[in-house]
Amino acid sequence: MAEKIRPPRLRISRRIKKNQVIKVKVKFDHPSFTGLAMADDKTEPVFNRAIPVTFIRNMLVYYGDELVSRLSLSSGIADEPLFTFKLKATKEAPVKVVFVDNFGKRWEASKEIKFKG
Amino acid sequence: MKKFSQIFVISCFFSFLLLQTILAGTVEQKFKIEGIISIASTKALQSELLKKLDIKIIDLKLKKTDSGWPVLRIEYDPEVVTKGKIETVIGEIEDPAGHKYKVHKGPLIANANLIDEENQAMTILGDMTMDLKQVNNPTVDFDSSIQRGKDMFVKKCAKCHGLNGNGYGVVAHGFATWPRQLWAWYKADSAADSYLYWIIENGKSDMPPWGLVLSENERWDLINYIKTIKKPEGN
Repeated sequence: MAEKIRPPRLRISRRIKKNQVIKVKVKFDHPSFTGLAMADDKTEPVFNRAIPVTFIRNMLVYYGDELVSRLSLSSGIADEPLFTFKLKATKEAPVKVVFVDNFGKRWEASKEIKFKG
Repeated sequence: MKKFSQIFVISCFFSFLLLQTILAGTVEQKFKIEGIISIASTKALQSELLKKLDIKIIDLKLKKTDSGWPVLRIEYDPEVVTKGKIETVIGEIEDPAGHKYKVHKGPLIANANLIDEENQAMTILGDMTMDLKQVNNPTVDFDSSIQRGKDMFVKKCAKCHGLNGNGYGVVAHGFATWPRQLWAWYKADSAADSYLYWIIENGKSDMPPWGLVLSENERWDLINYIKTIKKPEGN
């Protein structure tokens, strides 16, 4: 399953002014599954383990060399999630987003912030 | 009459021998199965397995198994089929939704160790700060409070913390961190009250803030019960 996961994609505006609050969008096609399935839907709703649990555990946001945010996630998040957050563009530096899943696998995406106008 | 009884005894003896030769070589084996994601997939697994192999399926237990994984019990003759062959065939079967089954082996990897980058991030940004307050347990009748706490624990807490408080509730393996083993507070004194009260009220990690749901008295009932949860022998 993990071999098919595509690297995350990051999107920011092309026209950014200094100190502007920009929107950063990150799309990551990662599966999310609690690992549970309904064992019996007739007599009583009981869940059992069905397949190994898979989810993004941590999302780290770097601006330049500085770590600016950490999102602690659980199996409750959607499949192939889209994250949007705001960032104040104070300097010309890359924005990097790192994802780590519950198997300890790491992915990253980054984009350079450059001021125009 | 004598002749009839002789024939009866001889036929019984031969049928016993025949039965013994049939059953002599069979062994019973349990397989933990991954991939049973719907009720339909249980039927598909069993019918396909019987088509492909000369085995007898004793049962497929879905609920209340020790490990939480569905357990398939199979009786087979090791001279005809091997355990490895059964595992391979199980791995080849597809359920109606196109999902493949697999024999579950080894411990469940719910959460690998944190990588260096995560540890570093947690050190830099820190975890949630706990604002502990001095609290006094207002309980007068401890016996009834513990009983109320136990009922509430079964309804609201056991899904994650486990019925015996071992932290391996059925839902727990989907979390980023395992829930706490509650026997850590067995016979804890009043010094632990502030901490337990804060955790129940505000939650931590994947635990939701139960302060939104439980009244103050209910929280104390739970705390009183948690202090009675003993570590089961053999754990």
